[in-house]
Amino acid sequence: MTGIVTLNPVSPEAAAISHLFVAILIILGGIFLLVTVLVLYAIARYRDRPGAPEAKQVFGSRRLEIAWTVAPVLLLTLIGVFMIRAIEASDPPIEDRKPDLRVVGHQWWWEIAYPKSGAVTANEIHIPVGKSLLVEVDSADVIHDFWVPELGRKIDAIPGHVNYVWISADRPGVYQGVCAEFCGAEHTWMRMIVVAEGEGDFDAWQRAQLATPAMPSDGEAARGLTILKDQTCLNCHAISGLAGNQTVGPDLSHIASRRILAAGAVANSPENLFRWLKNPASIKPESHMPNFQLSDEKVRALVAYMETLK
Amino acid sequence: MSDIAAADRIAPVEAEREGLLSWVASVDHKQIGIMYLLSGLVFFGLGGLEALIIRTQLAIPGNSIVTPDTFNQLFSMHGTTMIFLVIMPVMAGITTYVLPLMIGARDVAFPRLNALSFWIQLFGGILLYFSFVAGGAPNAGWFSYAPLSEPAYSFNNGVTYWILGLAGVGIGSLAGAINMAVTVLKLRVPGMTIRRLPLFAWITMVNSFLMIFALPVINAALVLLLADRLLNAHIFTPAFGGSAVLWQHYFWGFGHPEVYIMILPAFAIISEVIPVFSGKPIYGYEFVAASTVAIAFMSFAVWAHHMFAVGLGHLFDLFFGISTMAIAVPTGIKIFNWTATLYQGRIRFTTSMKFAVSFIVMFTIGGLSGVSFAVVPLDWQLTDTYYLVAHLHYVLFGGSIFAIFAGIYYWFPKMSGRMLDERIGNWHFWTTFIGFNLTFLVQHLLGMMGMPRRVFTYPDWPWWMTLNMISTIGAFTLLASVIIFLWNIRISLGAGAPAGDNPWDAWTLEWATTSPPPAENFALVPPVRGRRPLWDLAHPDRADELVAAASGE
Amino acid sequence: MSKSKLAVTLFILSEASFFALLIIAYVYFHAYPGEGPTAAGSLNVGRTAIFSVFLFASSATMMLASRSYRTRSSAMLGWLIVTLLLGGVFLFGQVREYMGLYAAGVSANRSLFATTFFTLTGFHGLHVAIGLLAIGAVAILAGSGSLGVSAREEEAFGSVEIYWHFVDAVWVVIFSIVYLWEFL
Repeated sequence: MTGIVTLNPVSPEAAAISHLFVAILIILGGIFLLVTVLVLYAIARYRDRPGAPEAKQVFGSRRLEIAWTVAPVLLLTLIGVFMIRAIEASDPPIEDRKPDLRVVGHQWWWEIAYPKSGAVTANEIHIPVGKSLLVEVDSADVIHDFWVPELGRKIDAIPGHVNYVWISADRPGVYQGVCAEFCGAEHTWMRMIVVAEGEGDFDAWQRAQLATPAMPSDGEAARGLTILKDQTCLNCHAISGLAGNQTVGPDLSHIASRRILAAGAVANSPENLFRWLKNPASIKPESHMPNFQLSDEKVRALVAYMETLK
Repeated sequence: MSDIAAADRIAPVEAEREGLLSWVASVDHKQIGIMYLLSGLVFFGLGGLEALIIRTQLAIPGNSIVTPDTFNQLFSMHGTTMIFLVIMPVMAGITTYVLPLMIGARDVAFPRLNALSFWIQLFGGILLYFSFVAGGAPNAGWFSYAPLSEPAYSFNNGVTYWILGLAGVGIGSLAGAINMAVTVLKLRVPGMTIRRLPLFAWITMVNSFLMIFALPVINAALVLLLADRLLNAHIFTPAFGGSAVLWQHYFWGFGHPEVYIMILPAFAIISEVIPVFSGKPIYGYEFVAASTVAIAFMSFAVWAHHMFAVGLGHLFDLFFGISTMAIAVPTGIKIFNWTATLYQGRIRFTTSMKFAVSFIVMFTIGGLSGVSFAVVPLDWQLTDTYYLVAHLHYVLFGGSIFAIFAGIYYWFPKMSGRMLDERIGNWHFWTTFIGFNLTFLVQHLLGMMGMPRRVFTYPDWPWWMTLNMISTIGAFTLLASVIIFLWNIRISLGAGAPAGDNPWDAWTLEWATTSPPPAENFALVPPVRGRRPLWDLAHPDRADELVAAASGE
Repeated sequence: MSKSKLAVTLFILSEASFFALLIIAYVYFHAYPGEGPTAAGSLNVGRTAIFSVFLFASSATMMLASRSYRTRSSAMLGWLIVTLLLGGVFLFGQVREYMGLYAAGVSANRSLFATTFFTLTGFHGLHVAIGLLAIGAVAILAGSGSLGVSAREEEAFGSVEIYWHFVDAVWVVIFSIVYLWEFL
């Protein structure tokens, strides 16, 4: 995230919060200055020094007390009014809308599904620019938190308590997200990205996610596929076209099309994929993915296969 | 037999005991108070060490000073230590030392219970730290959210040690609270009516009631979590019908009053120090007292502002947002009254006063960032980020710890008979002030830039490293400040200027006896005809209640 | 109010807070039970009601003991012993109930009802036991002639009495919520 993302909104919801934030910062900044100036003035003016007058034994002033009780109450009431409006603007009601996206937090990756089309991916969300999508947020294990600051509020992913949040982007771009509720050892590396693109690009992407990847028939990639089946990778990972639909680990059907690996720990590249498969702990020490103790040659083959999963 | 007769029997026996062992068996509130301070200091060092390792790890991106799991143990222990083994015991120590003296009593209401409080609390702390060598310290954060804190996700015994350690600390604190409340209500010297109570005593009493109602809440939560961890129950595991959110309600039902339990004693100290070093009475005594009671009541109605991101519904969020903003009002009243006390005073800038005055500004910053969290949509962006880490440190360090330093410089002469060195104190103050702000001011910005809390590293984005590095430099500056503080104590205990009874020209009863006080506290307690007994004694024609009556108040 | 009575009252307030939170957990999981044994299927109101009567009676006998103490009547020790016996019967009933539940497979981790039930009634039972110990101590002191009638000792006796009544009052609430509410 570059810049002060909470003040760089890219969606109407985030903008509602950002504008409120600026207003509040100004008000609070004003109060801070007032108190600081009052204190600094007092300690400068009423310092004990030779010739300084005796301290005046006063006990208080009821009028002043009322004044500095009423004034904050009025100010807070004003802030309260801003707040009520911003709550609705930044977190619009759901009404009868069925979710367009389903995000499930796992230790330590994000399962992403598009219920209406059936597309499934991990750690990388695509949305069409200018459209508001409803996200259903859930968890498969502990409490996580889904947060893409430029696009809006954060919302907890709690097992047993499904939440909903709107997501949209006014302009194309790649927006960073994080898990914002401590969820265990690799909480740090449970990031995600949201790619906002034109409607045509989004449709194309979704179609590609729905397509079943072709199975390689020969060469290193085919060897990689055989190794994948032998090593029981499908016990945790789903790859469309191959048996099983496990969600212990991320869906790998189109892993080669993603920009990040290991939920943001590294960028997606053949080199990094090699490093990951060779020894996951070298990238993400506490990841649940075991080290299969594969030889370099086997890993190369696996990478060759997975690079075909576009 | 009467208390005085019993005391006369005990005193000569006590005088016979000498040496370290006598401290272990002591039921004297002064010795117990000092022991609280010493153990608090040790845990401050441990908690500080944990913080330094955390800041070293975070100084540059991609660092690997510690493993992720070790990092998680470090921040969990840092928070738990600073809250339960430093701030609470140190406040208890200052209170148990000062309160009986301030009300003209010989000791607290139940001296043996007082000793029990200290030793149980210490035992709880030792038990908690034992976890480091017994399979790993708790690593689920200082508030152990479920289901992360459940056996399925938290494999070692760390969280169980956390539960048991907190149980010990909790029992000690509760017993202490009951003790202090009864002491204030029943052991005041005749003449000290409730309306003449020094604010330190009044606020201590209100705080005791807070503890009496809030500590059992966490005890209940701990019992249920223990059932989950040791008996395989499922109160907080959704997979078996339990509720993870219930844990949060229980924890914060305690946790929010807890933060007031940590700041009220700070308010108590500041309300004594600022008037004395301004040379005039506290401005608006009744309002400071009444607003304290308001805060105590209201603190039970704001807990779910820690849960705005949980998704409990707008109405629910709105209620707690409004109640949280409301509690800012009585707090603000105090800030204004302390500031007004400075006006037309004759301000002596002792080290104690420097900490007290900067408390006003630091706590205001923390309080204002708290108001920004009360505004629900802002919380939706800022909670669980470094903006929150900044907020909590401004109120707990810039607030409670600064007040503790003010209190220590103020009462050290009474406790030891010697003055702390003012020149070294000046160095201590400035390194603390600069180090503290360097560490935590930038964290507001980091939070606004999207840095979540409880992460052991971060991507190498522009400015992230610079800001984190500044924060780490601040942390090491704080290390220097603590070393300077310890040096001051060491030097002054040996060669500090003799304090005399009342080095500050202060007005409350503890200054009417020797420094340190004799075992029975007072040879003779001065008459109490107002809120400032020693002022009235020194200025009979301008005694407080005379002046007040004359001006028709 | 004396030091001791004030302290016990404050302690009781904190304990009331503790029990309130355990009751809330019980009530919450009564509304959202999940799987496994529930109150309706596991508890016997009648039997527990009978044992409860013993506990309530012990509060009455404790008051009689207290009156005897204050009027310097020799009946005090007798009433204290009766209180102990009545309280003991209640505890015995609790233990019988626990054993029965355990034999029926209803252990503390079997369901959310079970966990909250055992936690709530278990802590209450613990408080009863501690109360019996305190009353026992008073009885032993009285029996050995060491219990005088100074203000201090009267206050101590009164504190124990207040605690015992509190333990009883908590049972009224627990019995109502866990048993009566279920079966009426």
